[in-house]
Amino acid sequence: MNTDKTRRGKNYFKRLLAVRGMGQVISVTIGLIALCVVFQILSSNFFSPDNMGNLLRQIAPYLIIGIAQSYVLITGNIDLSIGSIMGMSSMMAATMMTKGVHPVWAILTTFICCVAAGVINGQLVATCKLPPFIATLGTMTIARGIAQIVNNNHNTDTISIGIGKATTEAFKNFFYYGKILTFGGKMDAGGNLIGGFSIYSPVIIAIALWLLFNFLLSKTRTGRHIYAVGSNADAARLSGVNISATITAAYVVSAACACVAGLIVCATTGMGAMDTGNSYELYAVAASVIGGVSTLGGQGILLGTVIGAAIWSVLQNGLQFAGAPVAIRNIVIGIIVVLSVLLDVLIRRGSQRRLTDTPFLNSLLNRGQEKTESRV
Amino acid sequence: MRSDAAVADKAARERNAPEYIVEMSGINKAFPGVQALDNVSFQLRAGEVLALLGENGAGKSTLMKVLSGIYPRDSGEIIVFGAKQGEYNAKKAKELGVAIIHQELNMCSHLTVAENIFLGRELTKRGVLTQTEMNNKAREILGRLNVDIDPETVVGDLAVSKQQMVEIAKALSIDARILIMDEPTSALTAKEIEDLFRIIRELRADGRGVIYISHRLEEIGRIADRVTIMRDGKYITDMNNEDTTLPEIISYMVGREIKEKYPKISCQRGGKIFEVRNLNAGLMVRNINLELYKGEIVGVAGLMGAGRTEMTRAVFGVDPKESGQIFLNGKQLIIRGPFDAIKNGVVLVPEDRKKDGLCVRLSVRENISLPSLDIISNRFGYVNLRSERAMVEKYIRELRIRLPHAEVETVSLSGGNQQKVVVSKWLARNSQVVIFDEPTRGIDVAAKVEIYNLMNDLKRNGIGVMFVSSEMPEIMGVSDRIIVMCDGRITGEFMAGEATQNEIMKRATMFDDKLAVAESV
Repeated sequence: MNTDKTRRGKNYFKRLLAVRGMGQVISVTIGLIALCVVFQILSSNFFSPDNMGNLLRQIAPYLIIGIAQSYVLITGNIDLSIGSIMGMSSMMAATMMTKGVHPVWAILTTFICCVAAGVINGQLVATCKLPPFIATLGTMTIARGIAQIVNNNHNTDTISIGIGKATTEAFKNFFYYGKILTFGGKMDAGGNLIGGFSIYSPVIIAIALWLLFNFLLSKTRTGRHIYAVGSNADAARLSGVNISATITAAYVVSAACACVAGLIVCATTGMGAMDTGNSYELYAVAASVIGGVSTLGGQGILLGTVIGAAIWSVLQNGLQFAGAPVAIRNIVIGIIVVLSVLLDVLIRRGSQRRLTDTPFLNSLLNRGQEKTESRV
Repeated sequence: MRSDAAVADKAARERNAPEYIVEMSGINKAFPGVQALDNVSFQLRAGEVLALLGENGAGKSTLMKVLSGIYPRDSGEIIVFGAKQGEYNAKKAKELGVAIIHQELNMCSHLTVAENIFLGRELTKRGVLTQTEMNNKAREILGRLNVDIDPETVVGDLAVSKQQMVEIAKALSIDARILIMDEPTSALTAKEIEDLFRIIRELRADGRGVIYISHRLEEIGRIADRVTIMRDGKYITDMNNEDTTLPEIISYMVGREIKEKYPKISCQRGGKIFEVRNLNAGLMVRNINLELYKGEIVGVAGLMGAGRTEMTRAVFGVDPKESGQIFLNGKQLIIRGPFDAIKNGVVLVPEDRKKDGLCVRLSVRENISLPSLDIISNRFGYVNLRSERAMVEKYIRELRIRLPHAEVETVSLSGGNQQKVVVSKWLARNSQVVIFDEPTRGIDVAAKVEIYNLMNDLKRNGIGVMFVSSEMPEIMGVSDRIIVMCDGRITGEFMAGEATQNEIMKRATMFDDKLAVAESV
């Protein structure tokens, strides 16, 4: 009876691990938990309800751009224009709104422009066969230039001067300040809730995007083609996959996500800043790679990107809570990124010999298999 | 007294000077599943050109890689310049003066000729490169070869033949005494071949030993002093070139009886299903005309570099065509890319399964279903996992692919099972024409038989089967009709009963254009 139960447990574990890339996700989740424990020890406020609510809200934009970069990385390419497209999105939407354009139309126009930028990226890489690093370096610079030119090389005024206070509030609540679920915290004299745990709207947006794009990547033809192109473009082409369309699709997803992330930043401050999203393309690489998405293509799952984005934000937030100066924060985060990529490389090198995904977890798995075989 | 002794000593050494500069004996080398070299012996004299001959896979290249230290030997003795070698590696071989000029040239195409020649041992003065000195030395070496190449040209701008001369110059610059040339003429024109031969003769006159590997047998008669023949990883014989004839060489090369069993079924030959007319695509596909009928397997024979793979790729739409028409059941197909071919039911099982056939890091399930996702997904692209699993399980069962479960990465399977995965990708589509390119390369005998059975099943079901192979017995054992290619052209066609190995080999080495045209008319 007892062995039956353990065997069923083992089978479940095995099936979980059989999902591609799950080994790496489990490893980094353990790392994330360890980080949280360390920060709680360093500063007992880390796990407080209001910090948790804040932390989730901080993770959201990193997750969104992480999804963006993961899509492109899985096709074996890279998108350096993510940060600039965020800036472009933020500045375009804010400029239009200060001129009195209703947010819905402002957002729609911005979105179309960003998607067009994604199509251009995809065509440059897939059809013109430019190296992705160079092609998106170019569009990165161009998009930043557009972000600067839309309001004559100035940050915008607050958007409420164009669309009025009530519409501004609605826009800000939709993208950043709105709360869905709240508990804990106290009422202050004016009847406003102070502290406590809340789920803010960016978290909802991030979850919605994640569900959508995770479905697209893991359950649809396009998603399968994205993995196939990243894994072996020659074989994919000989299997009838349209390489150009697949890569373009990934860049479009990337640009669309970057657009949403830009709107969130815009809603945070209620204005447009020209340097919005600076270096975010690299934060996006970090979130993806920490989460097990390989820069060489074909490998990784979006669940890993969630953990990667979480580790990134936990490091920022936790180090800040622990009172580390910005310089130290940067150094520590840089080291973590390098270590996680190093881990990825070492695992790959090891897997060439052993043909397994993660040496540690798979050795457990294989041992389980040998046992069942010998029992039979 | 003392000097006398030294002189006598020197004379004695010269008298005992080894006749051979390279002696290899009892060399064994195994790769997983194959004994690539089986007790091979090999000798090379100073000042001779030795042709090393054998069919594809006879072990020539492996033996040369052992000699140049790229592969360690499993056992056996290597004596170079009379010195018995213990630990032997690429560095040691280089020090002894062994240089290999590869089939694919290994040069930095963005650097100049001189920079390539001195790559890795640049001349410097106080840490600064002495460009002029290197250029002058390179010019001197090239002058010695009597070739007109400016050492300051960028290698990428040179014709392939000139690049080859640079490789030879590089070998001479390290004073290589033993030069191995692997298929040196495969990319050269007739005039360039003359130049190369002149240089080889000069190297020989200089007392160097040249090992010459080529599939072009007619060249051998003109350049080689001696031939050594290998077959199936074994040393067969060696002879002086003047004592032998081409037919004799060929019979030693093919030598064996067809001893493996090839399952063959006989079917009524049906109507014409597929036709290629006047196909041209690059240098290696010239004016190809062929037809496939229901109920037959057409084998495409030829030596490496004959253009067979290029022909299949052009038909399938992987590489662009210059001209030519393709017909399926009498209807002309427009094939702009693999997608069009697949849609119309013409599929290719490619030669290099790791490079073109599989996404090795993806699971077996994802690989098998990749070309057929349109069948198992709805119009929004949602892939029905249940039909996918059912389809994959069906082919795993039918083709007896051995694996723990369909989710394992394809790279973890054995070669034979990987090949079955590549084949099963195409069975789900109800294809009408299946082209196999080297489907049995690197897989074990049992798996080979399963692949043959599968081809027979397709043949029985009225599907057009074309089958490219470099293994002569396999071609003869499995095909109903055999097409022979050489130099991008079809040089012969036989019905299975009429063909002999010698006849096929003769056609496969037919490099003379006029002859090829005359014979094929």
